[in-house]
Amino acid sequence: MASRITSGARLCVRASIDRLVCNLSRSRHHNAVDTAAVSRGSDRMLQCYQKQSNRIRSDHQRNHCRRFTTLQDTDTDSLSSIDPYRLLDDDLRDVYTDITRELELNTNQDELRTIATYYFDGQGKALRPMVAILMAHAINYHMNNNGLDKKQREVAMIAEMIHSASLIHDDVIDQSDFRRGKPSVNALWSHKKVAMAGDYILAVTSMMIARLNHNDVTITLSQIITDLVQGEFMQLGSKETENERFAHYLTKTYRKTASLIANSVKAEAMLAGADDQLVDVSFEYGRNIGLAFQLVDDLLDFVSSKDAMGKPTAADLKLGLATAPVLFACEKYPELNAMIMRRFQEPGDAERAFELVHKSQGLEQTRFLAKKHCLEATRLAGKIAESPYQKSLLVVPDLIVNRMK
Amino acid sequence: MNVARSPTAVRMLRNGPASRVVRRRLHASSPAVVATTATQCDGNRGRLQKPDWNRAVSEAGKVVGYPSSFLSLRWLLSDEIANVALHLRRMVSSNHPLLKTVKGLFNNCQSNMQAWGLIVLLVSKAAGHINVDSSADEDKSGVLRSQRALAEIAEMIRTSHLMHNGLINIYPEMFPKSVDYDDISYGNKIGLLSGDYLLANSFYELSMLKNQDLMELISSALRDLSEAEFVGRRDSQNNPLPSPFEPLNRKLGSARLRFNPFQPSGKLRGGMPLTPALRDWTRRNVLSAGSLLGKSCQGALLLAGHGERLQKQGFLFGKHLSLAWQAYLDLEPFLSGSPHSLGISFNLTSAPVMFHLEHDSSLFKEIDKGINSIQDVDYVKVHDIVIKGPGINYTKQLQKEHSEKAMEVLNVFEESDARTALSNIIIAMDRE
Repeated sequence: MASRITSGARLCVRASIDRLVCNLSRSRHHNAVDTAAVSRGSDRMLQCYQKQSNRIRSDHQRNHCRRFTTLQDTDTDSLSSIDPYRLLDDDLRDVYTDITRELELNTNQDELRTIATYYFDGQGKALRPMVAILMAHAINYHMNNNGLDKKQREVAMIAEMIHSASLIHDDVIDQSDFRRGKPSVNALWSHKKVAMAGDYILAVTSMMIARLNHNDVTITLSQIITDLVQGEFMQLGSKETENERFAHYLTKTYRKTASLIANSVKAEAMLAGADDQLVDVSFEYGRNIGLAFQLVDDLLDFVSSKDAMGKPTAADLKLGLATAPVLFACEKYPELNAMIMRRFQEPGDAERAFELVHKSQGLEQTRFLAKKHCLEATRLAGKIAESPYQKSLLVVPDLIVNRMK
Repeated sequence: MNVARSPTAVRMLRNGPASRVVRRRLHASSPAVVATTATQCDGNRGRLQKPDWNRAVSEAGKVVGYPSSFLSLRWLLSDEIANVALHLRRMVSSNHPLLKTVKGLFNNCQSNMQAWGLIVLLVSKAAGHINVDSSADEDKSGVLRSQRALAEIAEMIRTSHLMHNGLINIYPEMFPKSVDYDDISYGNKIGLLSGDYLLANSFYELSMLKNQDLMELISSALRDLSEAEFVGRRDSQNNPLPSPFEPLNRKLGSARLRFNPFQPSGKLRGGMPLTPALRDWTRRNVLSAGSLLGKSCQGALLLAGHGERLQKQGFLFGKHLSLAWQAYLDLEPFLSGSPHSLGISFNLTSAPVMFHLEHDSSLFKEIDKGINSIQDVDYVKVHDIVIKGPGINYTKQLQKEHSEKAMEVLNVFEESDARTALSNIIIAMDRE
């Protein structure tokens, strides 16, 4: 949990001052609304929630200050003064509002509305819609198309909706109490209703996909859902040998995270009428971004929890998951193999694994791998005609790597 | 043995090395499963005293050349499901309701409405197709490949919904022993993922049919299914309880559902007046069943190139058939001589209870005891009150009227073996 908040906050370092101010006021507004919803939950939950919110808010403020220094430091470098979120402000501003409206229109049941729209409160970092719209603009420019097509913006919404539906089902599976600094859906509502709300979001999303009325785009976007579930299944099992294990991990990472980004930017390119080659470029760009993003996420699970809690509490290890840092650490400390196979279930396993990862080169190697994917993404973005949007595509990998700071 | 009796399963068992894995897993984990399903199956048959239903369905299966369940080879042999089988083995001792759902899948009893895909195929065949290159797309029984795929999708969506509905709501301190807690939350995880797997596959198969109107239609049926679980009052396990009835002048539905399906499509011929209880019952059951079967039948006609008018008839057929079937099931525990009548629980929102509540709202006092858990309701008492009231007769009439409506729709199709098979299925529901 902590890693998510911190990583979210870190990404905001790059956000413009305007956006931060706007976010701050919005988050205050939403806190009020959420508190009402939360009153149904337990008091303990409420207290923790407020604590978390405060932490986020102070993070925002700290970032606010940091932003000034970043600006001053790097004003000379043309690329780092580019802020994709700011560039896309007009396109992104109402994404959450429009998603919420779509979900509310499709049912008469108030409780279903509340659960289904719970995570669309504007607190997420909207990475997926941002990358999707960025690619749409860049390809449009490349193709001499006019502006952003309404359908392209819908794809951005669809990407975020599929992501949220999967988060909601993950919450039931992982039984986590918090997400994005507020009580997770399964802490507030019954498991069955939460599962149904996830299905409902998927159904509404699928209706939106159908209305795009583009056969190949529909197939591309449906693939995301298949990948997500298969990735989740892969997470249940583990492989015996080290080589198999790493391949298993990478495939899982592609399916659980990268496929969504890759296929949504691919859909954007298809809607722009791009040729196969250009569609491939966007898909590969999205795939590399997605892999890098997840690698960094897995890395932060080891780094930031230590900063925040001052003790080794890697969330992934506790869920029994062996991510890249552990897999790399295996090379130096083979004793990790047995722990991976028993999913860190023995007492002391998680702590020991955490320690070994930090003693090994696992974190550096993970970072290196993430950077490699970022470089590849940058190389691919270079194939698209130069425009402010294309330049932003060059910056996005930096944003992802910079989460490591 | 029951597993082996199912044609799909037999084929599965005979097939290739991949199936051997599944077979091993099935066998390793299934003696208990097999035994229970077999008794359940025979029990159902005895209880319903309706061999005609099973015969009607299996005869109908021959018309379209397909086993009645679509738990297909392809599905069973996929890696993910082989994995699930492995995980289910771990759960055999845990009593999680997911096991019951899975047993139901291997259970070849047609009485539990596994026959939905079959209905879609029969409607497809009865209607025929136009403007489709039949040589390429049609199989020898006269059904389009795409229609077969749709039938399979409808069953996958339904099964997925059953799996998600079989989750257990876990509350703090519900399981003092952590072993029990672990078992149940593990069951929830597998149930949720298996359901998601079916759902994802349904979407993918739908997308491969390259028909966006169909995609939207069937997705909206899934939306309705999930919405159904939010209607009315619920106990802590999300079991439904009747709510005070909304007066008729309060709008419940909205125009977004095609063909205004909350209304029992105009006046039923028998002249059953639309009352708040009838509307409530209809809404629940259209959302939870009628919508999917209706829209699947409609979709089959859409794929065949038929116009909106006939598509609408397809929708109405599926809707009325599923409502007739629901009324039939609702009635079962209240018929004398049925072993169910000896105090075993029944659905509190079933038609006889709802109609009775409308007739005499004092029954709400007993119903309200179940607000935390429907187990707290005295079912014997409710049962005795309901059978003395008008609820049974209303429900019989309800079933009859929906059966007649479904039968009426069949007249738009030309005489064929598929049409006969469909009408036999409707007739088989008739108890008198």
